[in-house]
Amino acid sequence: MMRKFKKAIVPVVVAGLAFALTACSGGTSADTAKDASGPLTVWVMGDSSKNFEKLVEPFVKSSGQKVDVVAIPWDSIDQKLTTAVASGSGPDVVQIGLTKLRSFADAGALLPLDGKIAAYPNLAASKFADGVGGKATAVNGKIVSVPWVADTRVLFTRTDILAASGIDSPPTTWDQLRADARTLTQRGPNKFGYYIPQWDNALPVEMTWDFGGDIVNSKGDIDFNTTAFHNAVDLYTGLYADKSVPTNADFDQTQGFVSGTVPMLVSGPYLAAGINAAAPQLAGKWTVSTLPAADKGTSLFGGSNLGIFTTSKHQNGSLKLLDFLSKSSTQLNWYTINGELPTVKAALNDSTFTSDPLVKVYTKQLADAKVLPIIPNWDGGVGTNLLKALNSIALTHSDPKSTLETFYQSTAGISAK
Amino acid sequence: MAVSNVLTTARTRRRTAATRARPGRGRLTPYLFIAPAMLLLLAFGVFPIVVAAAVSITDMNISGLADWHNVNFIGAANYVKLFADPDFWQALGNTAFFVIIGVPSVVLVSLGVALLLNRSGNWFFRSLRAFYFIPAITAIVAISLVWGYLYNTQFGLLNWVLSLVGVPPVQWLSDPVLAKFSVALVAIWRGTGLNIIIFLAALQGVPREYLEAASLDGAGEWRQIRSIVVPLLRFAIFFVTVTTIISWFQFFDEAFVLTNGGPLGATTSISIFLYHQGFQQSAFGYASAGSLILFVLIAVITVAQLRLRRSDVDY
Repeated sequence: MMRKFKKAIVPVVVAGLAFALTACSGGTSADTAKDASGPLTVWVMGDSSKNFEKLVEPFVKSSGQKVDVVAIPWDSIDQKLTTAVASGSGPDVVQIGLTKLRSFADAGALLPLDGKIAAYPNLAASKFADGVGGKATAVNGKIVSVPWVADTRVLFTRTDILAASGIDSPPTTWDQLRADARTLTQRGPNKFGYYIPQWDNALPVEMTWDFGGDIVNSKGDIDFNTTAFHNAVDLYTGLYADKSVPTNADFDQTQGFVSGTVPMLVSGPYLAAGINAAAPQLAGKWTVSTLPAADKGTSLFGGSNLGIFTTSKHQNGSLKLLDFLSKSSTQLNWYTINGELPTVKAALNDSTFTSDPLVKVYTKQLADAKVLPIIPNWDGGVGTNLLKALNSIALTHSDPKSTLETFYQSTAGISAK
Repeated sequence: MAVSNVLTTARTRRRTAATRARPGRGRLTPYLFIAPAMLLLLAFGVFPIVVAAAVSITDMNISGLADWHNVNFIGAANYVKLFADPDFWQALGNTAFFVIIGVPSVVLVSLGVALLLNRSGNWFFRSLRAFYFIPAITAIVAISLVWGYLYNTQFGLLNWVLSLVGVPPVQWLSDPVLAKFSVALVAIWRGTGLNIIIFLAALQGVPREYLEAASLDGAGEWRQIRSIVVPLLRFAIFFVTVTTIISWFQFFDEAFVLTNGGPLGATTSISIFLYHQGFQQSAFGYASAGSLILFVLIAVITVAQLRLRRSDVDY
């Protein structure tokens, strides 16, 4: 109880202090369009603010605007948002995971940027990758954020293990993947062909996209009751039925991939970093390739956008910061410092950047990638229900028909506009 | 110690109640004394419940938090929805399971350990007392990390030990049925420490003369425990049972950090269900309705226990 109370009170106190400081030093400025003085507060996702501070150093030097970076652990963003909205005092700039974008916008926390970004050439929708730029991440037709970092899903394979089982190259279709997974599972007890993270609510959606469908219908509502989704369910549960997938929820994917227990899995670039850190000696024995295809090979366009809090007293400074962060050079610098992929087209096409073979695959996949529907609470609502339905069919053998029927009913009619 | 105080107060309460009936001067004095505690209780106990009750008849969510105009009165709709929600029923069932498994285990294990520890006061037994108390004062996150590693299917200690005797890996936290027991075990292990101390304190209050007299009468050790010690521990047992029942109805920490309610909702207690609804989905109205139901459940059960206790004899 105390712990939760502390968690809740910290941002309030911090925000309160920040407010008090700005109130003291700000004086009485008659011009409302002008920013209040004092530092600009930025909430970045993650455990450390160091890298981001390093990134914005040139901005601070050239503009004279001080920037306060606060790292927010991914787990606590919901609570931080709630307290910021309830107390009416948030940061100036905030990093928002794409699946959380709708919740932030619905809470009225984000400043609409439609009229404002025209003055900043780097913030034009056309500058960003098509999957996330402009209308792709607008909420109710309004632009409330600009793209920041990209994330996607690609296929990781242990080429050495595949070769030992007589498989020359990573599978390029889901059918092939399923067959290969069966072959690889036969290597012995406690060996598997493929790994499905039980918490990955994007995978079934990627499969649906690959079968040529979508989970949003022509009216802009969530709709899972489609042939493409049925095919995706067959593939997802089929991999379990083949016994090609470990069934324990606490399976560690990095460990499993390094040890060879699962020689194939779909994951994000962060796994590559994890493998390099955990097992550098494995270099050359594994590779990444674009997602297996059925009708299509579309993958997830994940990542984060940046928005400006409605309550910000530093709107101009914030826009300038966003403009700086959307420069191609800044984004490439961020990849070097923090390993997160850029969202700006110029950076994604930069030849020194794409000379890395892994990056080449990522950027190729990003060109064929979509964002999850921007609905309130993807992770807590539809995403959770989706996994619960699929996993109860795959793991506890509940009746597919009635389970899916309940799932369709629970998610039908949610607007993704 | 605290408990022996409580015991004496309980014993003397009825007597003073009878003599205090005189009205007039000083009637307000006791209220003055309890006022600080009362104010705290009102501010942090009663007021939140009233707020929750008010929120539970609205469709309050995060946009309502930002602007009060977005909050609408929806009557009992949250309650109707709650009773039709299979996830809520699953959470209720899980909570019942945890209470039924957890409460008797915690009470019996702590009573048993306390009786054993009470047999001697030498350094070994004293250090054992500290040892049994350690789980109660260790941070839950540290506990869950350690137990998470013990339970891990791939590289956990438990499965490694089992593999030595040729048992295939057990899915401690991934099997929907087993996960309930695994999580409950950690909570029982963690919950006994404090109760052992309470029982030990109460055991100090058992007069030596009774035991001596009994042994002179030829009562064996088992007979002494059954006929003298346990009856004299009635109030301590009652106190431990009530607090344990309440804490198991609010079961949260262990399941939250070990499984976050999974696999497939098998360890989702009502508290975790409410946390997911309220803090992840920002459905504050819905979560408030659920929390009110939990409150009523706990209140009814506690009041029933107190009623049963009232008809009991004092020694």
